[in-house]
Amino acid sequence: MSGPRERLRSAVDDALSGLRSVVRIARWETSRSAGVVDRQTAILGLVALLLAGAVGGAAMATGGVALDRDVYRIGVGDDSPYHEVVRESPALAARPPDLDRLGRGVEVVVRPDRFYVADSTKARAALSTFRSAVRRHNLNAMRNERNESAAFPVVVTLRYAEQTPDEDLTAGSGAAGGSGSDSGGAGTGSDGDGSDGDGGDGGGAGFDAGSGSGGAGATGGSAGDGPLGVPGFGGVGGLLGGGGSSGSPADISPPFPFGALVLAFVFFIPMNFVIQPYGSSILNERINRRGELLLVAPVSPSAIVAGKTLPYLALLVGITAVVALAIGGGPVSIAAVAPIATLYLAATFVGGMFARSFKELTFVTVSISVFLTSYAFVPAIFTNVTPIALISPLTLVVHDLQGTGVTAAQYAFSTGPFYVGSAVLFLLGVGVYREEDMFTQRPVPLKFLDALNSRISGRRSVAVLSALSIPFVFIAELLAIAVLFVLPVEVSIPLLLVAVAAVEEVAKSVHLYAGFRGPFAGRRGWKMALALGALSGLGFFLGEKLTAIVQFVGLPNLTLGRAAFTSAGVAATPAVGLLLLLAPLALHATTTSIASLGATRDRTAYLSALVPAIAVHAAYNLAVVSTLG
Amino acid sequence: MAEPRLTIARRELSTLRSEKTIVLALLIQLFIAAFSSFLVVGLVSLYDPGSVEGYETTVGVTGDASEDLLRVVDDQASMTGVAYDSQATARAAFERGEVDAVLLADRRAGRVFVTATAPDSNVRTTIVVVQLREALSTFERVERDQRSGYLAATPLGLPPRSGSTPYYGFSYTVLLPLLCFLPVFISGSITVDSVTEEFERGTLELLRVAPVSTVDIVDGKVWAAAALAPVQAGLWLALLGFNGTPVRHPLAVLLVVAALALLVVTLGATIALLAPDRRAAQFLYSVSVLVAFGGTTLLPLNPVNTVARLAVDSVGATYPLLVGGYLVLGVGAYVLLRRGVPRIGLGA
Repeated sequence: MSGPRERLRSAVDDALSGLRSVVRIARWETSRSAGVVDRQTAILGLVALLLAGAVGGAAMATGGVALDRDVYRIGVGDDSPYHEVVRESPALAARPPDLDRLGRGVEVVVRPDRFYVADSTKARAALSTFRSAVRRHNLNAMRNERNESAAFPVVVTLRYAEQTPDEDLTAGSGAAGGSGSDSGGAGTGSDGDGSDGDGGDGGGAGFDAGSGSGGAGATGGSAGDGPLGVPGFGGVGGLLGGGGSSGSPADISPPFPFGALVLAFVFFIPMNFVIQPYGSSILNERINRRGELLLVAPVSPSAIVAGKTLPYLALLVGITAVVALAIGGGPVSIAAVAPIATLYLAATFVGGMFARSFKELTFVTVSISVFLTSYAFVPAIFTNVTPIALISPLTLVVHDLQGTGVTAAQYAFSTGPFYVGSAVLFLLGVGVYREEDMFTQRPVPLKFLDALNSRISGRRSVAVLSALSIPFVFIAELLAIAVLFVLPVEVSIPLLLVAVAAVEEVAKSVHLYAGFRGPFAGRRGWKMALALGALSGLGFFLGEKLTAIVQFVGLPNLTLGRAAFTSAGVAATPAVGLLLLLAPLALHATTTSIASLGATRDRTAYLSALVPAIAVHAAYNLAVVSTLG
Repeated sequence: MAEPRLTIARRELSTLRSEKTIVLALLIQLFIAAFSSFLVVGLVSLYDPGSVEGYETTVGVTGDASEDLLRVVDDQASMTGVAYDSQATARAAFERGEVDAVLLADRRAGRVFVTATAPDSNVRTTIVVVQLREALSTFERVERDQRSGYLAATPLGLPPRSGSTPYYGFSYTVLLPLLCFLPVFISGSITVDSVTEEFERGTLELLRVAPVSTVDIVDGKVWAAAALAPVQAGLWLALLGFNGTPVRHPLAVLLVVAALALLVVTLGATIALLAPDRRAAQFLYSVSVLVAFGGTTLLPLNPVNTVARLAVDSVGATYPLLVGGYLVLGVGAYVLLRRGVPRIGLGA
């Protein structure tokens, strides 16, 4: 028996026994959670779910909900041709055409000679809604005409082409509309031959009602016609049509993946429900020292956490697979949603470890739901418009549902931050999965500092923590891009530069602040502050090199993308490249040292030291952008 | 007997304050409101050319109907047309970036077939497509007028264009109800947590030794949570008014919110008493609130619609009756719960 073999065998044995205990805890967690649901609760839940289904069905059957029912009152006589228009439109209510009541009881009065409009914002909104209602009415009247060529004299086929000189035109879809009388949503299929479009990479734009996705188109169309009743969409109803490409001019619409987006959203609903019991289960361990028995058992905290998490993760992946099967998604959808589910659980785990009571946990989970949902959802709206959309894994789902492919690099770019982020969160949470933190009541920020401190064991760990913050920095910065990119470039770039600087400075220094309250509490001299600041900057610099992955998806081609990632050294010429390689290092070390000096004192000093640090960082970013941009 | 109930209510509120959860709650509401506004404003500015100023689109027009089409295109605001002899020259100009879009219009069989080519995959695509749609719709109207003799019905004349922003309707029918009802849902959730936590921590036993009845305990929790919602809603109303979205019947809106808060909080308390495990209770609560609110939106006078119509003063003189109806609903549910509590029995 030689030493190495022996050691290998014992390592394998250890791993196996660790795995066994994880499985055992997972089984225990499952049975305990299932045991909570007694017969009464199960029946109540079943009734509630059935009711939910019935309500959903009723909503479908009655043509949707009208939030703005009868909000605007139109004075129109029974004999007027406009009376039917008002009756058809849910947002409009018919009133007698009494000119005296204009502005007090009616917003618009229709007389045979002209339209009388009260002088108020509401009346103008009413007129605008009325106008689109008349337009819709006309369109429907024309659909019933027998002479089709007179009713719809213009037939439009929309296609998309690259505007670069050296590339072939790639038509998104090319077909003469058969009847021209179908709306993007109605999808009578008469323009079915439009599906021969060789979409190409950007050809997602060509996705349309004609390319066989009738279901998605139909939902979009019916929503666009008004039953959803969200105002503001009334005048642009066509935009919900899923990107119609052919037919009457009213039917063409910009590429907007409405149907696919709604379907992709279905993935999120179960997550918000599953994290509730998961968070409860974590917090339950901490109430009345219940988790103590498990803690003293011969298993590691990470095995406990893994065992407690596994059933919920499996449940979520299972639900995701079922949803994917139901709405026509493939393995790509499941692979894209799984990291979102993981991050949901990871964030909830940390929330459960930090929260002091169920109430606090509720707010933490609601924050997590709101933040992650918007992070995933907002960018996906722009799936067909800009590569920025790829920051959300949901975009991959939309691509998958549309039938446009996803490359491995795109997958890595979208889901990478989610995977690494979940790992880091679990790491932080496991760090405080110990007696002194679990069973004490401390404010959330202090718990957070504790969690950071549990990972600081020496100077080098400061750099490691800096590097580990990268995925969160990445997520925050990309969210900032997504939110700011609607603004004009002159406004968004400076705002973005400041936001980026703020996010990065906080990420680089918050664990230093924690460290000076933990392991480095006795060594608060300026030398130590500078050394730790420089180390943290170095760690961040190295980690930031990971963002070079953005090159794969062409994000730097976008003005905003360049602005956000210039300091990552994504540069053009070698000479500038070398300069840019070293300059950020100096920058990060300097600014973090500034913040670090403040962090040695109290919170006020730390926060006020962050201001110059952010200012220097933002100035540097601005200089880089303006010299290279 | 009011004293112990008030004490319990105060204790509820003070834990919320000490945990600063209420701040987090307000932040969440603000984030949701900002997020939905961003969504709508962003979408509208992307898809409504009227709100996108300064985008001048140049369109290359070709084909045998190009003269008629060109006339319409030139009439459009922020659009200029350039005529090209052949499809090939127009395409070349498009590829060089001299024109933003190409329209190929041919007359065949009494109709005009237009092939529109728009740039692929960028932000301008949406703007160009929407502008093309406007121009082509006008073109369609012109062409249809020439064929009106063949039509059985004449299209109705459109009301004049108004300078209205699409945000008006959004502010009142989506944003305002959202800000009014989020606090209500949160209050209900707080009640579920508060009651289940007493079970979990075993502190209910302590309360029961104190000289208070179970009804008092439930009263205190319901009062505290139900009072929170209208206060938050009032805050949002003030903020909206400050931001240029005045609300017409603020008192009536707040009364509706208060009545619904009482109803939802009662629901939360009932569920928590029936299913004292938080996991089950929260699940049941969220599903039933979803069902209740989703279901009521199908009714003609649903809460969202009521609040919106009160806020824009689109209610008749009978609106106090409507508000009264909500109050009866909320108070009725609460009275039922008080009657039921002794029968459910706490501390099983």
